[in-house]
Amino acid sequence: MLIELTDIRREYQVGTEVVHALDGVSLGIARGEWVAIVGQSGSGKTTMMNVIGCLDTPTGGRYVLNGKDVSRMNDDELADIRNKEIGFVFQNFQLLPRETSLANVELPLVYRGLSAKERREKAIAALKKVKLDNRMMHKPTELSGGQRQRVAIARALASEPSLLLADEPTGNLDSATGEEIIRLFEELHGLGHTIVLVTHEPRLAARCPRAVRLSDGKVIGDGPGQDVAWQDRAQPSAHPAEAPVAS
Amino acid sequence: MIRAFFDNLRLAFGTFVAHPLRTMLTLLGIMIGVSTVMTMMALLEGLRLKVNKDFSQLGANVFRVDKWPQGFRFGGGNRMNWNKIAQRPQLTVDDKRALAEHCPSVSRTGASSWQPAQRVRTGDTETQANVFIIGATVEYPELSGITIARGRMFNDTEEVDGRRVAVLGPDVADKLFPSVDPVGQEIRLKGRPYTVVGVMARRGKIMGMFNMDNQVMIPMTTFFGAYGKRRNVSISVEAKDADSVDKAMEEVIRVMRQRRDVAPTAENNFEISTNESMAKSLNDLSNVVTAATFGVCLLSLIVGGIGILNIMLVSVTERTREIGVRKALGARRLRILAQFATEAVALSVFGGLIGIGIGFGLAFLGRWMLGLYTAVPAWAVLLSVGMSSGVGLVFGIYPAARAARLDPVEAMRSE
Ligand SMILES: Nc1ncnc2c1ncn2[C@@H]1O[C@H](COP(=O)(O)OP(=O)(O)OP(=O)(O)O)[C@@H](O)[C@H]1O
Ligand SMILES: [Mg+2]
Repeated sequence: MLIELTDIRREYQVGTEVVHALDGVSLGIARGEWVAIVGQSGSGKTTMMNVIGCLDTPTGGRYVLNGKDVSRMNDDELADIRNKEIGFVFQNFQLLPRETSLANVELPLVYRGLSAKERREKAIAALKKVKLDNRMMHKPTELSGGQRQRVAIARALASEPSLLLADEPTGNLDSATGEEIIRLFEELHGLGHTIVLVTHEPRLAARCPRAVRLSDGKVIGDGPGQDVAWQDRAQPSAHPAEAPVAS
Repeated sequence: MIRAFFDNLRLAFGTFVAHPLRTMLTLLGIMIGVSTVMTMMALLEGLRLKVNKDFSQLGANVFRVDKWPQGFRFGGGNRMNWNKIAQRPQLTVDDKRALAEHCPSVSRTGASSWQPAQRVRTGDTETQANVFIIGATVEYPELSGITIARGRMFNDTEEVDGRRVAVLGPDVADKLFPSVDPVGQEIRLKGRPYTVVGVMARRGKIMGMFNMDNQVMIPMTTFFGAYGKRRNVSISVEAKDADSVDKAMEEVIRVMRQRRDVAPTAENNFEISTNESMAKSLNDLSNVVTAATFGVCLLSLIVGGIGILNIMLVSVTERTREIGVRKALGARRLRILAQFATEAVALSVFGGLIGIGIGFGLAFLGRWMLGLYTAVPAWAVLLSVGMSSGVGLVFGIYPAARAARLDPVEAMRSE
């Protein structure tokens, strides 16, 4: 197993109330798997991604990544893991507005201590993979939403991570561009990358070999994509399929 | 490590380019502080160099015997002893002769006395009432670094007889005789005619203030006749050679004490001063001013530092999301700390460099427009760079530490 979550809890204290964003999640993901995480807004998807991505430390439970107990690591050790093992595509791109696409993609490589030349080569290769090598010197504000999304993916790919995490990578895209990005993920999956993907769209989740459904911070479904993706539509037509709650 | 440093420097530079006006305004405090230090140091250093040069122009192996200590002459000194010193006996031309006679290590002695703020006239023109009249014995010029550029010094006979002859300072000569050779011409002091026998070589100003060229030198006897007999004189003593200066000083002290019947336990009731001690008393003064300047500058650097602190806090807040992203992508704490500390130091060193530039500019301007003698000492430049980077580090470290401690998830969520 690449990822082993055991009874993971993440609680937030909001005033006097305790919010259980993750309420005892246990889950294993093997190397090379492609897993979709689905669930309603507020069900804890992003929180779980942050835990898996070593961005957030759970308040309870055990998380073993690649054989290492991450729950015991300090800030800097986690930073190194994020840098070397994990490629993150954040929910709203999180590109640096002042920097060019190229500089944005180079960013994780900067913190790996590569030389300027190596960084550049790897970043250009990553931008080629997402077909944006013709927009390298554009700043995020000079790019379309889909292009930004692709820069974010290129940044995640640039460090050649063993684990690729994507939080709503098609959330802001029209269906054609979304489709392009899904193809890219399929390709990466074919190449052996481990991918965890958060999505609202059942149609997308249905295409994944495996899907996990969260509700109120608990896992309520885990199985082949086609089965789990439509799980909450068991009672038909309460709401139309393509209208997720805005995130 | 070095790569990280240059990456950080590039980021810092990016910030300045993104906010040029804000950067400049922030740097105002540092700039003013550093340029004040530089200008003051340039002025003082110039003064110091000039003073040392002025005093080393005095004759070799020469020291002086005076009634008043050096500090009083230059405005410093201890007021409490003022009465006591005022009651000391006057030095006289007889003392001068006695010293030459009774001190074996002394080769010759000279005496001088002066009257400030006099007007010098000719038939058709006159100077302002700011000329120094010096009464001098014939040895005096050579013992105080005065050389005669034209004509001659008055001689012994003229001095003893109290003839009305005069040697002009170059400024007086230029003012009164712009187109003719002053030698042989007639001037008037207090209404009485004097024949000009010589003109002094130009010497400039001591400390850029006291003009040594705006003088008229007349025989001591003549001076007493014109400005009063019971005047205190200043005695210049020349030792036989460099090795016997100390011995000559001892002899002079012994002879003076004998002549004045000073009790063995009592202090000297006169002052011995050398070129070095005169220069030193001025340097001491300039050290006090230097220290005071530093106090002022330290204050403005602190003000500048608070500007840096403020802008760095703003910068960190503004860029919370960026910091979050950087941390999320694998930047360690120290790296973020270094990034912002580098930015703060680069910012204030940049301000410091501009300040140094302004300081140089003002020093140059002072020399060019006001004729001040200025010199920027190398240590002041180094000190300014050192101080401004220190300020950047001290005031930048707190905001940088705040940035380094940010939680990536929360930071990325901020707007
Ligand atoms: N910093 C926080 N402080 C308090 N509560 C939080 C915090 N972050 C998340 N939560 C709560 O945790 C729960 C899960 O949030 P999360 O962001 O994981 O949802 P999500 O499934 O990603 O939703 P969406 O699909 O809208 O992105 C939510 O109820 C949210 O209110
Ligand atoms: Mg989310």
